[in-house]
Amino acid sequence: MKRIPVILDGDPGHDDAIAWVLANASPMLDIKAVTSCCGNQTMEKTTYNALRICTLIGLNVPVAKGRVKPFLKPPMVAPNVHGQSGLDGPKLPEPAFDVVPEDAVTLMARIIEESDEPITLVPTGPLTNIAALFMAHPELKKKISHIYLMGGGIHHGNWAPAAEFNIQVDPEAAAYVFAAGVPITMAGLDVTEKAQIYPEEFEIIRGLGSKVATTVAEWFDFFFQYHKSLNGYKGAAVHDAVAIVAMTNPEIFEVKDMYVEVETDSECCNGATIGDVHGVLGKEPNVHVLWNLDRDAFAKILIDAVRTYGEVSE
Amino acid sequence: MEKIPVFFDCDTGTDDAAAILIAGKMSEIEIVGLGAVCGNVGLEHTYPNTCRVAKLAGIDAPVYKGAEEPMFRPLVTAEEIHAKDGLGGKAGELSDIPVPEAPKTRAWDAIYNEAVKHNGELVVVAVGPLTDLGIALAKYKELPKLIKKVYIMGGSASFGNITPAAEFNIYVDPEAAKMLFESGIPIYMCGLDVTEKAYLTPEEMDEIGKIGTRATEFIADVCHSSLEFYLTRGYKGKFMHDSCPVLAVAHPEIFSGKMAGVAVETKGKITLGRTVSDYYTDRKFDFENAFVVTDVDREKFVELSLEYLKK
Repeated sequence: MKRIPVILDGDPGHDDAIAWVLANASPMLDIKAVTSCCGNQTMEKTTYNALRICTLIGLNVPVAKGRVKPFLKPPMVAPNVHGQSGLDGPKLPEPAFDVVPEDAVTLMARIIEESDEPITLVPTGPLTNIAALFMAHPELKKKISHIYLMGGGIHHGNWAPAAEFNIQVDPEAAAYVFAAGVPITMAGLDVTEKAQIYPEEFEIIRGLGSKVATTVAEWFDFFFQYHKSLNGYKGAAVHDAVAIVAMTNPEIFEVKDMYVEVETDSECCNGATIGDVHGVLGKEPNVHVLWNLDRDAFAKILIDAVRTYGEVSE
Repeated sequence: MEKIPVFFDCDTGTDDAAAILIAGKMSEIEIVGLGAVCGNVGLEHTYPNTCRVAKLAGIDAPVYKGAEEPMFRPLVTAEEIHAKDGLGGKAGELSDIPVPEAPKTRAWDAIYNEAVKHNGELVVVAVGPLTDLGIALAKYKELPKLIKKVYIMGGSASFGNITPAAEFNIYVDPEAAKMLFESGIPIYMCGLDVTEKAYLTPEEMDEIGKIGTRATEFIADVCHSSLEFYLTRGYKGKFMHDSCPVLAVAHPEIFSGKMAGVAVETKGKITLGRTVSDYYTDRKFDFENAFVVTDVDREKFVELSLEYLKK
């Protein structure tokens, strides 16, 4: 089977970590590199977490550090969701290797340039690195086959009533990426808030027994604490993992194509992803918006992915 | 039972017309005045339209002229849906109904006068841009304490219609809407979330036409005129936006929603006029200023609409 070459860009973060566990487990994906961005925590912390996750799951690819802050806004972090480390909960192995000397944008550009086939980008944090890549290397946009991103929400936000966290952290970057002309599949809150893993499923994962499985279960234990403090959650919404599954298992999603633009200049809507649901602007759709998913199928895919670590880590 | 005193502010308007005809037959309420505001079309149409449709509805209350333009912006209209005359090209059918000379009192003063007169019991139903209420709030600082509740058709907790982000009535006069939402007056908001579920199918319009009165034949005709706009966009019928807040005054049980915080965007590059609500979001505002309606029992909605129109 021909594998899809991908670059994972994220701000781990519990759900980034679980997304990468899934990506690394998929025989469909060929992970070329991992890059960190600031978001859930500071750049230092998310980079350290990225290295620890790669060490835990045996993902031996170049890891590069991204831009230390959003384009125009000061960094904004989410310790109430992910803890002070950005990845609180289970004890993780210390990094078995260090970041490469290149920064994230340079590494991404080199990989894309040297690749014979187009690369897929999977950003699960703010879009700072991706926007910088497109600005600095516009000629490489045509070698990006697709962006599967976690971010935004057509119906509503989460960090602000109008905006989702990843987009709100760096709205200018997001606006640039959405307008870049590269095919985008958006795993926004419309679908990711439905991608909940339930406590009984944490136990199934824990029962798999491998080091990765028990760690994932404990990430869920921690992550679920935040969701329990909100109304209406039966489980932990593992947002970022949806971006991976959208790529590997498109059949479990309902998708709407529409024109989406990001608000960057407003009183209370900065970072809102405005989707032209009714087509009033008459513009060509630029985003495949994930609208709904088969939750049970999603949970099964996630559990089966963790199961693949059973043999390697015992 | 004592009737609820209602001031009805509108920009008639095809669905406004249906709402007026329903309001005129609701025994639970008493229309104490109507305001005609610019919106769907200009005041030169909404004033005579409102007068004539009110007469057709058997409403004797005066019709006051409201604002000719939004508080701080030029007017944006919706002729694509309502036609140049505001009534789907059917205004001529009512040309025999005389239009009285407008009272000197303007809609914003009338709202205040009625609010004082009814001693805190006045309900305002506003189904157009909120300019008249905005001006009333600007002029009378004690107004918020005098109005029991404002039922609006406007805004949305999710998407827009005039732009991807904004609903028409709020988009036309976002500053007026912001003033209302920040006024402290209890607000009952029927936004697109619910009003797009409150549609009439072509068959149901025919049924209304068959009731056989002048009013019902007229409204069936008017509704049919904009039907194509909806059907070509894949909807099952015409959205009867403005009937929602009117029916809600007497029949809240057929609607569902909850209290939420709502802010109005008045600056956004692409979000101007958006009603930003925390209805669905994890992160809440530190205020709750509106009852946001998101669903309706459509069968009961149609049943009630027909029941009143038959009277």
